[in-house]
Amino acid sequence: MRPTQIWRMPLGRIPQASYYDQKNRPGAALMRARQPYLVKNAVTGVCLLGFVAAVYTWTLKAIGQDDFSDVPIPDAPTQPAHAPHMSTVKSAGSAQ
Amino acid sequence: MRQNAYCPHPTHQATRLATSPHDTEHRKTGALPPAHVRFECPDCGIPVSCSEEHYVSDYESHLEICDTLRQINEDDHDLLSGRLFPEFEYPGPQVAEEAQVNMMNWDTLLYSRDFAAINDDRSMRQATRLLTYPLSIASVLHELSPYSLRDRVTAEGLRSLSALRYTLHPPRSGSGITIAGLRPNPPPVRLFILGARAESSLPREVWIQLAHLFPRVTFHLIFIGPESMANREAEFPLPPRTPQNPFGAIVETGLGGVMKISTYVDYFHTLHEAQMFAPYDPYFDCFVLFHPGLGHPASSFEWSETLPQLLETKVPIICTGYTDYDMRRDMAWVEKEARGEMDIVMKAGENRFRSLRWDLNDADPGDVSCGNWGIWGFRGKRYEADEYRGGGKAEQQTR
Repeated sequence: MRPTQIWRMPLGRIPQASYYDQKNRPGAALMRARQPYLVKNAVTGVCLLGFVAAVYTWTLKAIGQDDFSDVPIPDAPTQPAHAPHMSTVKSAGSAQ
Repeated sequence: MRQNAYCPHPTHQATRLATSPHDTEHRKTGALPPAHVRFECPDCGIPVSCSEEHYVSDYESHLEICDTLRQINEDDHDLLSGRLFPEFEYPGPQVAEEAQVNMMNWDTLLYSRDFAAINDDRSMRQATRLLTYPLSIASVLHELSPYSLRDRVTAEGLRSLSALRYTLHPPRSGSGITIAGLRPNPPPVRLFILGARAESSLPREVWIQLAHLFPRVTFHLIFIGPESMANREAEFPLPPRTPQNPFGAIVETGLGGVMKISTYVDYFHTLHEAQMFAPYDPYFDCFVLFHPGLGHPASSFEWSETLPQLLETKVPIICTGYTDYDMRRDMAWVEKEARGEMDIVMKAGENRFRSLRWDLNDADPGDVSCGNWGIWGFRGKRYEADEYRGGGKAEQQTR
C-alpha cells in the first residue's frame, strides 16, 4: 500500500528528527524508550559476564599445573652430559 | 471563559449541581450573587476569580492546579505560535511486518513505529493529544496489547478480543497483484465510534495510523452522533438522502485503500432500528465510545435508549473517560442500566496511551481533564444456552 504522506522539498534548515543528536549521542526520546529495560538489561549483562568469568576461572584452574610435591625428584644422572644426536646418520634409512 | 465561567469562591451562590466530588460547586454556601471570572492568576495566566480578594482567600485550592493550568496555557500559546511542528509528521506503514511494535508506553510505541524523535515534553504533549484516539483503540485490539489476563482483561474479554484479533492479524495468503495472486478478501473491520464529537474532525493522517498498525486489514470507521460534524463546517451541506444513502452520510474513501470513514449525523438508536448496520459480527465489529459521559447527568438520558441495543449486539464496546471519577461513574451507570446483562471485557484503569496534555473546561477553569485518561470495556452477556421455554420435541412425543 502506498503511504499517504506528501513528499515535500526541504527548504531551509530541517530540524533534526533523529533519535541521536549532532554528536551521535542518544537523545532524550531514545533514553525514554529504553528506560523500562535499563535495569533488566543491566542485570542480564552482569549475569552473562559473571557466567563467562566463572567458566574461564574454572577452566584455567582445572588445566593448571598439577601439584607434584609428593613425587621424589631423582638425583642428577652420573654420565657426563653430551650433546645429543652426534651420530653421522642423518636419515632413518637410505636406498642402497 | 470570562463569559462562561463563574468564580469558585465559597461565598458565592451555586449556579449548577456539582458534577463530581472534586467540583468546587458544592463548597458554595454563601449569599453573594454569582460573578464571572475576571481576575487572572499572575502565575498561570488564566482567569480564576472574580476579584483579587477572592483569589487571595482561595489561594490554597488554586495552588493545587496552578502548575497544570500554566502548562495548559503555555501549550495553547505554543499551538498558535506558528512554529514548525515536526511532531505532526507521521510515518507511513510499518516497513516490515516482522518489525513488531512495542506497546509498553508512548515512547516505546513511537520508537518502534518509526516516528521522528520527539525529545521535547511540550511536543510530546501536542502529539499525543491527537494520536491518543487511534492508538488507544489499537492498544486494546492488537495482539501485542499491554493489557492482558494478568492485569486488566477478563476471561470473557479475552474471548471477544481473540475473535477480533483473529481478523486483525490474518495469516499470509500468498496474495499478489497478478491474477494468480487473487485471494478472497474478508469484509473490513468496522469500528463504530458513537457519540463522536472532536474525534470525527481529526486529520485523516492521524486515523490512518490505526491502519498502519494492522497490515493486510481494511477498516471502516463509522462516526455516529448528533455532533459528529463538529469543526467540519467546510464539509457542509450533507449529501442528499437517497435510497443508497438513506441517512445522508459523508463517506470518505481516498485513504489509501485501507480505510473508509463514514460520518452519520444521527443517534445510534435511529440507525440501529433502521437495521442500517445489521448483522453485527463479533469477529469484525467493535464499538468505541470516547468519553461518552454515560453517567454524566447532562447526557445519560441520551444513552439510555442506545445501551440495550449495544448490549444486544454482543459486540465488545470500548469506552474511555476524562478522569477516574468520570470513568467509574460511567461504569456504575452501565451496570445499573444493564441489570446483569453485561460482562466486563476490560477492567477500568488508566489508559497507557492517554493524551499527555491536559485540557481546560471553558465553563470551569478548575475542571482539568485529559483526553482518554482511562479505558475500560464491556459487552452484552453471552449465554451458552438459551432459557428453556417448553414445547420441545420430547414433550411432543410424550403427548
